[in-house]
Amino acid sequence: MQKRIMFQFTLIAIIIGGMLAVQIRSTKDPVVRDTRDIWELRQDLKRELQLQQQLLSEIRRSDDQLAAYEQARSTDQEAALKKTLAELKEEAGQTAVQGPGLILTIEPFYPESYVGPVVRTVSPELLHRLINELNEYGAKEIAVANTRLTNTTAIRDVNGLTKVGNVKIASFPLEVKIIVDDVATLHHHLKVSPLFDDFVIENLQLTVSEPISTVVIPQSEEKWRVRYMETSSTEKGGE
Amino acid sequence: MWLPFIGLIVGIVLGWLTNWRIPEEYSSYLSIAVLAALDTLIGGIRAHLQHVYDESVFLTGFFFNIILAASLAFLGVHLGVDLYLAAVFAFGVRLFQNIAVIRRILLANWLKRRQKS
Repeated sequence: MQKRIMFQFTLIAIIIGGMLAVQIRSTKDPVVRDTRDIWELRQDLKRELQLQQQLLSEIRRSDDQLAAYEQARSTDQEAALKKTLAELKEEAGQTAVQGPGLILTIEPFYPESYVGPVVRTVSPELLHRLINELNEYGAKEIAVANTRLTNTTAIRDVNGLTKVGNVKIASFPLEVKIIVDDVATLHHHLKVSPLFDDFVIENLQLTVSEPISTVVIPQSEEKWRVRYMETSSTEKGGE
Repeated sequence: MWLPFIGLIVGIVLGWLTNWRIPEEYSSYLSIAVLAALDTLIGGIRAHLQHVYDESVFLTGFFFNIILAASLAFLGVHLGVDLYLAAVFAFGVRLFQNIAVIRRILLANWLKRRQKS
């Protein structure tokens, strides 16, 4: 009798244990269904492939640079360093650049019988949108109101006026200069872009110039302050 | 005496190894079923210790409680009322009471044995 009861208890305990384990398993990491259709999968795949390609090219560039260093160390260290400095300066936007590109002009736009506030500035959100779209289409360098945009340039609202870096956007027409490798593609992209409608909603009109062979973008006026770096003491001996 | 605990561990291991998952929307049903089963098991152990254990009551109680709790939860979902809380409350209270009774019986047994020796 005793044995039989224990057997029943054990059976029930096994069932409870199983249920408990399944429950813990399901709540710990629930099954996330993949609902992407074939096009989304293709797009994701494409994006990953692009990323892979980009990483590979970066690796190759670093390898080249490393090889150049190795070579330069034996020939001329100073020249190599100066070259790297110049490259880095160019990358950080500390030099003026020129190349083929486009110039966009932003002007106020009032439909007939418009009654309402006068547009004084371009909102930071709209500028962000424009710049994101330009970057998406492969813009290499962008300048808004002759201010070079770098990775650290802030576009923000200060007392109702938009500031790009340290420059206030308070007068029209506003020029956005772009340097891009493939001007024709960017031009076509912009022609069909929904950005125009976004600008019109804010009573602004965006005009795209024809492709220009030489657009000059000034150097960035941001000063780079090195606060946390120190020169290392020269090592004695070495290789 | 230790067999049920070993069974519990075996059950957990088996459940873990089978790699079964249930959809998230059904997890509340399973959790309430677990609670009901646990309540029945503890109740059975208490009845056994009090010498009033009845096999048919235990086995029917196990399945009936699970089904009742799950259908209560189901009804609650469709009525938009968290009815499963009622089952959680009932089972929770009974669980505590039964465990208290088991503790007292075990304590009394232990004291008796100590007095004897």
